[in-house]
Amino acid sequence: MNSSSERITMDVKNSRKFSQNQIHEMRENLSAWVFLLPFLLFYTMFTLYPIIKGFFISFTSGSFGIESKFVGVANYIRMFQDEKFWEALWNTIGFVIVSSPVIALFGLLMALIVNAGLKGTTVLRSIFFMPYMLAISVMVSIWKFILQPYTGLLNSVLHQFGVEKEIFWLAETNLAWTSILLATLWWTVGFNMILILAGLQDIPGELYEASNIDGANGWQAFWYITLPSLRKVLVLIMTLQSIASFKLFGQPWLLTGGGPGTSTRPLVQYIYETGFKQWDTGYSASLSYVLFAVIIIFSVIQNKLLSPRSRTAKK
Amino acid sequence: MDQVRKVSRMDLNKTLIYGVSYLLALLWLLPLLWMIITAFKTEGSVVTVLSELIKPPFSLSSFIKVNRTAMMGQWTINSFLVAIIQTSSTIIFSSLAAYAISQIKFKGKTLVFAVIMAGLMVPVESTIVPLFQMLVDFGWINTYKALIFPGIAMPLGVFVLKQFYDGIPRELVEAGRIDGLNVFGTWWHIFVPLSKTATASIGIFIFIQSWNNFLWPLLAASESKMMTLPVAIPTFQSSFTTDFTVPMAANLLASLPALLVFILLQKNIVKGIAMTGIKG
Repeated sequence: MNSSSERITMDVKNSRKFSQNQIHEMRENLSAWVFLLPFLLFYTMFTLYPIIKGFFISFTSGSFGIESKFVGVANYIRMFQDEKFWEALWNTIGFVIVSSPVIALFGLLMALIVNAGLKGTTVLRSIFFMPYMLAISVMVSIWKFILQPYTGLLNSVLHQFGVEKEIFWLAETNLAWTSILLATLWWTVGFNMILILAGLQDIPGELYEASNIDGANGWQAFWYITLPSLRKVLVLIMTLQSIASFKLFGQPWLLTGGGPGTSTRPLVQYIYETGFKQWDTGYSASLSYVLFAVIIIFSVIQNKLLSPRSRTAKK
Repeated sequence: MDQVRKVSRMDLNKTLIYGVSYLLALLWLLPLLWMIITAFKTEGSVVTVLSELIKPPFSLSSFIKVNRTAMMGQWTINSFLVAIIQTSSTIIFSSLAAYAISQIKFKGKTLVFAVIMAGLMVPVESTIVPLFQMLVDFGWINTYKALIFPGIAMPLGVFVLKQFYDGIPRELVEAGRIDGLNVFGTWWHIFVPLSKTATASIGIFIFIQSWNNFLWPLLAASESKMMTLPVAIPTFQSSFTTDFTVPMAANLLASLPALLVFILLQKNIVKGIAMTGIKG
């Protein structure tokens, strides 16, 4: 550490300054690496190495345990001609585009409710957040029993209200997607609510007092104070949610199995099935790299939108 | 006259807000409530008609059946073991690394920080193939090592803690130095205690993620006794389609620890999510 007191001490011991400095620097270097070692060890082994290895695997054909063969960019060419890949990619992108704003909107609504100072606010907040604590398979299991035809809760309730048609929530493409969205919304909206709530509570109360004196009504205050103040946190949750939605896997895998047919199969499920059901590891690795690339692009956009420079520029 | 109209309109607004809020909350609570009540019904009873649902008899027979046919205890222990070790290691390793990056001058610091930050963008979903291959080579599949190790070095922890450490006043570090603290002592006696809240936030965040993790444990554990709850529950439930009570009892048992933790630590969890989520 280059602290001033140490510098003074070193100046006093002028004669030995140079060697002392060197020793000091060496010790700093050494201690830094000791502090970094445990993290870097695991990080290198289980994050960096797999990324690099995955890159090489994506240029081979082969399977676990079988000698792999270098095939150049064949896997990537195959991908362009693979209709199933495009279907999975568009499924995923479609889910991202629909789910992110829907979940953000409900998160905003719930945050406003919890922030409104109603009676039982703590209970409301708990109810909205609680589903987020459930493991994905528990969450899906509940929804499966709600949505299944003939014996499910939802259809049974609908029948009691006079709906006679048997609705196949999980067996028709559009309904299946609606079900996946509904389950995801129920499960994750609480997380978004908490982030927006933190944003709401950061807005200084004086802003509202001032607008009240100026004669603004509730809607105007919401439109001209609340929403602009939430810009940053809304961008944040939209990008967080988009990235989470790009990684969609468990909900369709457990709820619809990707069906009917393959019409609700997302990219991660295609990667999983290619790599771990058909044991086509080379191709699976190249599919993974596409997912990786897409997520990086999104993260970069997020950083751009959230960096202080762009914020002041927008204002 | 005008005053009266204004008041009644405000009352209407208020009623509307209350109505919408409580209705939404009721809808949100319903699936969870349904799971809980169904778990206490006897096998074969009607659980899809709400008026029938709340009528007795209630019993613990479904829980007994779950306990007899599923390794609920083992899966819960696995889940806890994985989540606790991942959380504590992540916290310790991230804290050490963040301290070095924030407080110590060393060669290659910028590069190390950049490489760790780049990891924020790497989803485990995109490295499952090489990761699995590596663990097959090690012979680690179906071991705790395979379940735990890949989730230990989380860049998010380093990122959040480094930001926090950057804000700790220099005077405190100087004072510690004068009192004879070395680098390790400074970390342990000054930085660790001062960052308790931030550390707890990350801990909660990572614990929830680990507890709910699905894709990696699905690959790492294929033997039933090594499975975590999220992976094991679907395999156990796949044979039930018409009986709702036993699966729901399993769901409730699997969720109980998490729900209890939530009820006990509610405030901290909410704070932790808000802080880590926004910083990350």
